[in-house]
Amino acid sequence: MKNTEPSKALGSVWIFGDYRNYFQNRVTLQLIAKGKDLAERLETEVTVLVLGDRIHQYAMEYVAHGADVVLAVDHPHLKAYQVETYTRIIAEIAAEYRPEILLGGATSFGRELFPRLAVRLETGLSSDCIALEIDPETGLLLQTSPAFGGDLLAEVITPDHRPQMATVHPGVFKERPHDSGAVGRIVYPDVEIRPDTRVELLRSRPQQGRKGGLEEASVVFAGGRGMGHAEAFAILYELAELIGGEVGATRPAVRAGWAEEERLLGQTGKSIKPKLLISAGASGALQYTAGIQNAEIIVAVNRDPNAPIFKMADLGLVGDARSIMALLLEELRKRL
Amino acid sequence: MAADRRSLVSAHHNYLVNNMLSPGFVLGNPDSPRGFYFLADVVLPGESTPRISGRFFDASAALLVELHWNRMIENPGSCLYQPEPGGFRIASGSGDVLLTVHTERFPNGYLTRIQGRLYDDLGRLRVEPSCEGVQVYGNVLLSLAEPFQFSKK
Repeated sequence: MKNTEPSKALGSVWIFGDYRNYFQNRVTLQLIAKGKDLAERLETEVTVLVLGDRIHQYAMEYVAHGADVVLAVDHPHLKAYQVETYTRIIAEIAAEYRPEILLGGATSFGRELFPRLAVRLETGLSSDCIALEIDPETGLLLQTSPAFGGDLLAEVITPDHRPQMATVHPGVFKERPHDSGAVGRIVYPDVEIRPDTRVELLRSRPQQGRKGGLEEASVVFAGGRGMGHAEAFAILYELAELIGGEVGATRPAVRAGWAEEERLLGQTGKSIKPKLLISAGASGALQYTAGIQNAEIIVAVNRDPNAPIFKMADLGLVGDARSIMALLLEELRKRL
Repeated sequence: MAADRRSLVSAHHNYLVNNMLSPGFVLGNPDSPRGFYFLADVVLPGESTPRISGRFFDASAALLVELHWNRMIENPGSCLYQPEPGGFRIASGSGDVLLTVHTERFPNGYLTRIQGRLYDDLGRLRVEPSCEGVQVYGNVLLSLAEPFQFSKK
């Protein structure tokens, strides 16, 4: 009989388990994969911290995707996410177990929780990182994050405070395959659970929208300011509907009201990895390209032959994006 | 912060015991010829049915039933094996439910909840219901990492 008693030690690379909208939002699994790389360099393990009510399946899923340890706080009072309760509990646990690194998704959830946690833990936070590495000399986490409106990429370190905290966009890293044969350790910390007395959740309901959405689409039409006006931008919606794709947008297009905020791509929006991305009328500012850099094939359309988007495109078309998209729509309608 | 609780967790199948996930656990000695034991064995990928074995007694230390991999092999207590959707239950001859075993299927795995009140061969309470699963007492290994190897069966 083999009885493998769990080790007393926890890995020092921690990932916050964000399982809301789980089967669309894979950022925790992507961070586990990156965490494994970081942990290997630090000769430690990856721990996923997960809070909620009846979180068994998520603990199992995290182990299947590479977590060595799951730190689980499972209680009915944690069924609804309440930022103050979550912040207090995670801060107490982090103070007890002292992780070196704490990573989370740059989702609406992570963007609300992580700054509060950083303040509570008196440490730094790099938001919306697009790369994470370990400095081979110091062992510090190198956090690459857009700065000054995205014109610069800053490499940030947290030399004196712990944990080193960062949030990362969904889609920046690739998850590991599911391994049903994996076995990990699970730790249930003894932490006081009490409900948040200032906020009472009356009800919640899922947002209406297309299942999967931008992050799961294999074809995305992404429009920028060069689409000119709302009616022209609407061509992208028609194209997407015609071939079963999705529509993304740059910040100027969202600001102009041509697309909803949830379609925003880039540093402050979504990171996507479709098989085909058609970028229409977007010059290729860093704020935008950070969200599309993992697309397998990029076709760029822009009237400026020197636009930065052409440096990363697999195929470039120099011309008016409105006209070319309209021609594409006309041609596809004939063929489909 | 007081001491934490620790176990193993399988990516494929777990039981809930002492409010923890565990790939498998065992109380008592499954190789003893007549004594109490309870084995919730490890379920490997490719299988979905939990494997429960044990020798169960009543509070007066009288043997009721012996299970081996979900099958009754001794039944002096005239117990009944009743299949149910997602599992089974064992009821005593008088109709009292001794044990229920129910497996929930997740998108990528399985969780088995056991409920029951079981006594050992000295009439001591060893298993009782607790929240979603069971609370177990006495000599127990909570973290089996691979299927139990019986020495005599």
